[in-house]
Amino acid sequence: MSNFSFLNPFGVLDEPGTYMGDFYSNNFARKAQAGNVILNLGPQHPSTHGVLRVVVEMYGEYVVRSEPVLGYLHRSHEKMAEHKTAYGFLPNMGRVDYLNAIGWNWAYAGACEQLAGIECPERAEYLRVIAAELNRISSHLVWWGAFVLDLGAFTPILYAFDDRELICDILQRVTGSRLTMNYFRFGGVGADGDDLFFSKIRDFIPNMRERLKMYKALVTDNVILRRRLEGIGPMDADLCVRYGATGPLLRAAGVPRDVRRSIPYGIYDRFDYEIPVAETNDNFGRYWVRLQEISESLKIVEQAVAQIPPGKHIVDKAPKPSWKLPPGESVFSVEGARGEITVHVISDGGKSPYRVKLRAPGFSNLSVFAEAAEGTILADAIAILGSLDLVIPEIDR
Amino acid sequence: MKMLSAIWDNLKGLYSLLVGMCITGRYFFQPLKTVHFPRDVVEPENLASYRGPLELARGKTDESKTRCISCQMCAKGCPGNCITVVKSKEGKNPVTWLYDFTLCCLCGACVEVCPTAAIQFSHRLYLVSTSREALVLDLLKDLEERVAAGPLPAAGAGTPDAKKPEARMPDAGGPQKAAGGSAAPDPEG
Repeated sequence: MSNFSFLNPFGVLDEPGTYMGDFYSNNFARKAQAGNVILNLGPQHPSTHGVLRVVVEMYGEYVVRSEPVLGYLHRSHEKMAEHKTAYGFLPNMGRVDYLNAIGWNWAYAGACEQLAGIECPERAEYLRVIAAELNRISSHLVWWGAFVLDLGAFTPILYAFDDRELICDILQRVTGSRLTMNYFRFGGVGADGDDLFFSKIRDFIPNMRERLKMYKALVTDNVILRRRLEGIGPMDADLCVRYGATGPLLRAAGVPRDVRRSIPYGIYDRFDYEIPVAETNDNFGRYWVRLQEISESLKIVEQAVAQIPPGKHIVDKAPKPSWKLPPGESVFSVEGARGEITVHVISDGGKSPYRVKLRAPGFSNLSVFAEAAEGTILADAIAILGSLDLVIPEIDR
Repeated sequence: MKMLSAIWDNLKGLYSLLVGMCITGRYFFQPLKTVHFPRDVVEPENLASYRGPLELARGKTDESKTRCISCQMCAKGCPGNCITVVKSKEGKNPVTWLYDFTLCCLCGACVEVCPTAAIQFSHRLYLVSTSREALVLDLLKDLEERVAAGPLPAAGAGTPDAKKPEARMPDAGGPQKAAGGSAAPDPEG
């Protein structure tokens, strides 16, 4: 502390122990080499997508070590589940991951339905697929805009939000909200889609396909983007498996793992679509996989809208807010936009679930960062961080 | 040969930049897609399915009377405990219907459990306040005010719910006054 000087406020470690920081950075600085700079990325930096803080040890422009610091957005969702009824916890699911609310809706509703043995009507299953895939597209669009923004291009995020607004309009028809959607109920969905809902989707699909072509010309083929992404941020399958990274990260490492295919849930086995897999192991692979997923999701939505049968959108005698889960436990996984979402519900038959464990894909995906960013320059580390598609509320829960 | 391919790569890169510039240039001359909020608001059709803060539905026979029978289903089912319904001593109708919008997560549990369809979502997008007390809404008073303001306007183009919530035009410019005057101190006065 006495060695602190205003000429050197960022703590160049000429002597160990002279760095002025909080617990995390001091603890991190203990292992730093003399002469290296400790840098805090975040928690309020725009490129960290929320309130993620990454402590980085820098040697010049190179990242020597890094450590993500979490917990700035912890809202104790899992504890809240122990104090609410099973139904009362449903709205929380829209708030765990604000970009992929429907994915979390499905994971929790699916776990409870599995435990209680509730079967959904056919129409509800189709509505679920339509909502989940539209939500996946909107999540990927936000990621796409924000990622390219991280790399220094401002304009694409405006186009991405333009398209996302259309999806928000569509989902607002049935869910009533634009961001924290609470659509799923035990045994069905909250509201049936009307004619306007389906006609809006039918208009949206060809429109989005045109826009994807524009995205390709504007961004994907851009030489600056290519040079920023290709061959940078290698994450092979071994690394992903060791940290439990799932979703586009794992698929960009050449592993065709998608919960919709490997453990089919809902009615995903009825649709014709592909799981995009890239072998390149780099940032561009992850970028490409997500953009391909948008067009695959469009295919699924198109088929679902064409095939949807008439009927009820929720079972008769659907669980009421005071409904109690039967004793037992169940685990249910769905493929969210960021990877595998798993919800583990344990119930002792009481008023509220005994324990609910939420497995957020972002948490495992983030843990890959420290190893992947080792030895890269700072600008590339930001590109790697962006390619992970982090949503901090989901990681902190 | 290596030099030739380097030149070719750079030319291709330059071309990709030109393509991008063409696209952004084309969009530059297209009409505006955003809405400049205080001067302009989104169309009411867009709000037809928007779930804003709760309101009480108009009565079937007497419009200013609520359909609520004080059964407390909504208050019990609410995950955020934001509803307070007090039954009157004479009949079934409530004397107090307080709704704390600061605690509400708009999940719709109350609307779904209500046996008489007395609660519905409003489309008030522009409800803001600088004090917490002003967001505790007295919905009975709100219902009276709405009925006094005029009869139900023709319902907008199709809503997903069978019960058609009435379309309420937003107050453009400035925060909307909180409907419930439950001891809300005016922040300015």
